[in-house]
Amino acid sequence: MALTSRHYELDCWSDAQEFYHSRGWTDGFPVVPPTPAAVNACLEWANLQADALIGIEPVRERPIIAEKLAINAVMAGCLPLHFPAVVTAWTGMLRPEFLLHGATASTGGCAVLLILNGPIRKEINAGCEFNVLGSSDRATSVIGRAIRLGLINILEVSPGAIDRSTLGHPGKISYCIAEDEEGSSWQSLAELRGIPRAASAVTVLAAGAPRQIMNEWTTVPEEILDTYAAEMRANMRNYSIWSGNYVVVIPKQHRDHLQNAGWSKADVAEYLFRKARITRAEWASVGKGSVIRDKGDVEYSALPSPAHLLVVAAGGPAGGFGAIIPPWLGTKSQAVTTGIGVCIDC
Amino acid sequence: MTIQVLDPTSESNLQEIQPAKGISSLKGKRVGFISNGKEGTPVFFAHLERLLKERWQVAEVVLRSKSNYSAPAQQDFIDAARDWDLAITGLGD
Repeated sequence: MALTSRHYELDCWSDAQEFYHSRGWTDGFPVVPPTPAAVNACLEWANLQADALIGIEPVRERPIIAEKLAINAVMAGCLPLHFPAVVTAWTGMLRPEFLLHGATASTGGCAVLLILNGPIRKEINAGCEFNVLGSSDRATSVIGRAIRLGLINILEVSPGAIDRSTLGHPGKISYCIAEDEEGSSWQSLAELRGIPRAASAVTVLAAGAPRQIMNEWTTVPEEILDTYAAEMRANMRNYSIWSGNYVVVIPKQHRDHLQNAGWSKADVAEYLFRKARITRAEWASVGKGSVIRDKGDVEYSALPSPAHLLVVAAGGPAGGFGAIIPPWLGTKSQAVTTGIGVCIDC
Repeated sequence: MTIQVLDPTSESNLQEIQPAKGISSLKGKRVGFISNGKEGTPVFFAHLERLLKERWQVAEVVLRSKSNYSAPAQQDFIDAARDWDLAITGLGD
C-alpha cells in the first residue's frame, strides 16, 4: 500500500529514539520505529486504505487519516490486531458530543478513557481482572498509549501546546480497560448502549483519574453502593458539581454480593442516581462557600439520569475495592460507544 | 543497514491567517468581549468595561458569554463581532 507520509532514513534503533524524542513526537517513553512495513500491516489488518478519512476534528477542522493513526499506533507498540480498537476509539472521539478539542486542551486535565467490550477482548488478550486500572496487560496498555501519541502528533496535544492541563493525571499515558464479561452475569456496557453482544465495541469518555473506594465489611448491596455514592459526592464537592457520565468499576467481590442479591446494572444505576446527590450548601465544608450564594438549597445529582452511569465489571477476583471515574465536564462532553467494524445506524 | 521510518505528525498544509489590522485609538469605538462564561468573569469584564470607558473613552462595550466554556464561540458571536471595532478574547481561566 502506498504511504504518503514523509520518511526518514536512520542508522539504527537507538538513533530512531533520539530522532523522535528530539522532535517532541513521543510521550517520553521509547517508541517502536514506525517502518512502512509495520504501518502497512496495521492498515491491512483493519482493511483500511492509507488515505481513509476516519473523521475530521470539528474545531480545528483537521482531517484524521488512517495512515497517521497507524504510524502512531505502531510507535505506541500496537500490533496489527490492536489497531481496529484504536481507529474505533478515534471515530468516537471525533463525534461532536465528545468535545475532543476542549477535552484535550482544558486546564481540567482529563484523559481519554477507553472501555473495550465484546469478542475483541479475547482476541487481543485484553486484561480485565488484576490491576485493571494500571498496566494490566500489553493490549490495553498500547491501545491507550496509541490514543495519546496520536493526539500529541496529529493534533499537537503536547503539554504547553494545545494541552493546557494544570495537572493532568497518569491516565494520560494510557487509559484503556476491558470489561470482565465472562466473570459477570450482567449485560455488558456496550450492550446496554445499543451494541449487539456479538459485536465488539469501544466506549470513550473524557475522564478524570480513578478514585478508589474500599468496603469489605458488608454484603448488603445498599451498603456497598453507599460507599461508591459517597465517593461520587466527594468528587462533586471537591472537584466538580456538574452531572455527567460517571463510571463505576466494580470488581468481582462487590459484584458477587450485588449479583447474588439479584441486582442488575440498572438497579445499581438507579440506586446511585438517587444517592449521589449534594446540595450546593455542602460546598461550604470544602472551602467553596463564596460561590454558594442564594443556591444553597439547590440539589445537584451526579447523574442526569440512571442511564448516564457507566457500570463496568472489571478488577481482580479478591478485595472489597471499587472505583469511580468522574467525567471531565458534566454533560458537555459525553461518552460515545462505537462498534468495531460495524455500523449500527446506517 | 539503515531503517526507514515515517513522520507521525499531521503534515497538514496549515492556512496562514493574517491578523486584523490594528486600530490607532479606542476613542468612540465599539469594543466586544467574548467571555468563556466562567464564575469570575462578570466581575472581571465589568471592571474592564469601566476602564475602557473611563480611561480610553470607548463608546460602547458589548459582552457575549459562551454557554460552554470549553467549546468554541457560537457562530452568532462570530457574526456579531463583524460589527465591532475591536474584539477582546483569548486564552485564560
